[in-house]
This record gives sequence, structure tokens and C-alpha cells, in this order.
Amino acid sequence: MFSATNSKKAELSNDFYKTSILPFSGIIIKLCRAYTNSQEDFEDYFQEVCLQIWKSKENFREASEWSTWVYRISLNVCLTLLKKKKNNVQHFASDSVTVDETEDNYAFSDESLNQLYKAIRQLSEIDRAIITLYLEEKSYQEIAEIIGTNPNNIGVRIKRIKTRLKKILDGKIY
Amino acid sequence: MEKSIENIWKEGFLKSDALVAPKINNLYNQKSIHIIDKFRRMFKINLIAIIAFSFAFLVVSYFVGIPIAGALFFVTLTALVIINKQLLNGLEKIDKGVSSYQYLKTFNQWIQHQVATNTKFARFMYPFIFMSMILGFWFKDAEGTPLGERLVDEILYGFPDIYLIQGVPLIAIVVILLIAGLLSFFGGRIYRWDLNIVYGRVFKKLDELMADIEELKN
Repeated sequence: MFSATNSKKAELSNDFYKTSILPFSGIIIKLCRAYTNSQEDFEDYFQEVCLQIWKSKENFREASEWSTWVYRISLNVCLTLLKKKKNNVQHFASDSVTVDETEDNYAFSDESLNQLYKAIRQLSEIDRAIITLYLEEKSYQEIAEIIGTNPNNIGVRIKRIKTRLKKILDGKIY
Repeated sequence: MEKSIENIWKEGFLKSDALVAPKINNLYNQKSIHIIDKFRRMFKINLIAIIAFSFAFLVVSYFVGIPIAGALFFVTLTALVIINKQLLNGLEKIDKGVSSYQYLKTFNQWIQHQVATNTKFARFMYPFIFMSMILGFWFKDAEGTPLGERLVDEILYGFPDIYLIQGVPLIAIVVILLIAGLLSFFGGRIYRWDLNIVYGRVFKKLDELMADIEELKN
């Protein structure tokens, strides 16, 4: 009885993944890449985001669009994934991506994109989210709603982030 | 000509390898590594362990003749379980589909609430457990007489001038109250200290994330 219920739920989760998550996997991939610097971590993040979307689906309210809700879950999960260090000290995984560690252990075939991601990973966690959403052509209003802030200040912050990214890409900041 | 970051992004993701999703099977049976799920698992394991231990101690205390200690210990740990079960219910209600600020704020409030509640409880729990052990052994049957009374008789034999209050040496009352006071003073601190060693970095990071969003709000 237990295994039948279990396999049914597993099947349901597979269907849900194919129909409700996979069509939006692009943004999940792009966000997860901004918070990880290895293929292994990226896969952990991606799986965790999908798992949390599956587990939270009952909380979805039709007032917002499914895609916006997926952005929110993805970002919130990326911001608060835990990793344990050897001495049992817990920390947020995204916090462990330091400047020294931003060398990609995995890479896209496009070298410019690799360099851009490497630069993005040197930003603060919130700035990584803002620039990713901006590059996904989300409006200031949408970015502000996803992050939970004032849209008036998003434009100024994006300008600042772009200047910093440009400096990093030009090799002026290491 | 130098490409803008917008163009790097657009052109980079046009390539076929850029958006390949990792293969995921059987989502339902995956184990979460998310902080809320980890807290939830930790709470459940702790609560089950406390319940099992308090029952075991209750039974053992009966057989070793200190049922008062067992009963008081059981009551204290039951209160701890009830309080933490309520905290766990609050954790279940945190919605990850709201804005990041709202989500981080709700989670942070839950952490503050649980730390404050357990710190307060620890201040009472450690002295209470200590007192229950003292009472348990005091009233333990020692050949028809409570062990405490026999002990006082022994002390009076060696120190006949010792001052007693309700049949208990004053010095013993002072020492017991002093230890209970120290346990109360350090109980909450030990709990916070222990939590900070393991989760200190997480709590600091949560504050930083919220401060960053708040800066955008103003």
C-alpha cells in the first residue's frame, strides 16, 4: 500500500516537473548559475529549486502569474540554501562563492558568457538577482515585486551594477 | 566593437548548451538541502528524541526509586516538546512564494522568536531539572526513611550545631539555590552560544541580505 502511494506520488511529481517546471527551466538555470561555481553545486541548486516548487505548489495564488511565482521561489531558494562545513558550522551556500573561487569549474561554450557569469558571481546576492532579472528583460516593477522593494530605486541600482560589471570585465576590479 | 552585457547575455544563451536542464527523476523522493527543511528535520528528530528520553527516564526513575525526579523531569520535557511543536508549526507556515524581503523577514522573525522562546525556557528548565533531581534523591526510600533525612542525621552527628530550616541544613539550601541560580544564569546563554557556533554565520547573512533590500526600499 505504502509503495503504491509512494510510486503514484513519484509519478505525479515527474508529470508536474515536465508540465509546470521544465517550460520555465531557463530562468531557474540562469538564476542557479549566478549562485554556483561548479556543475555539482549547480545541479544541487537546480534540483532543490524544482523540489521546493513541487512542495509549495499548493501555496500558489492565481493573483500572480505562474512564471513570477517560479522566479520568486527560485530566488528565495537560491538565497537560503545551506551548506555544512567540516566543523559543523552552517552557512548559506551562495555566501561561499568568494572572489577567489569564482573560477568556473564548468563552462558554457560561449566564453563571453562565462566571463559575464564570473563577474556576476562577484556581486552581492541581491545584486546577482537584480541583474539576472534585468537581463531577462523584467520591468523595474516586476523586479521590485519579486525582491520586495521599491521600483524607483531599481533603476539606480542596475546602473551601479552595470558599471561594476563593466569594471570587472575590463579587468579593473579583481 | 565591445559588446554590451545585454548582448553577451542574449547571444550566449542562444547557444544550444547554455540552457540544458539537469536530468531530474522522482522529485517526490529527493531529500531537501534547504534551510527551512533542515530546521524542520532537526526539530522533528529532537522532539522525538526528547519524548523517547523522557519516557525512558520516567520508567527508569520508578525502578531506581526516584519517581519524583522522573515525574518532574517528564513534566519539564513535555512542556519543552509542546513549546517546540508550536514553533515547528510556525516554521511550516513560511511561504517561499512571496517576495524575497517578505520571505527573509518572516524566516528571520521565526528564528528570533524560537531563539527567544528557547532561551527563556532554558533559564527555567536547567534549574528545574536540577531541583527535581535533588527532590528525587531527597525522598528516595532508604530502608524506610527518606534518603535526605538520613543524610541530615549523618551530618548532625558530625556537626551538631548546624543550623536547620524545616529539617534541612541552611548551608545545603544556600548551595542548592546558588547552583540553581547559576544554571538559570548560564542556561539561556549556553543555548545561544551553542546555536551561534553552528548557525551564527547564517543569522549574520540573513541580516545582511535584509539590510541590502531595505537599502533599496529607502
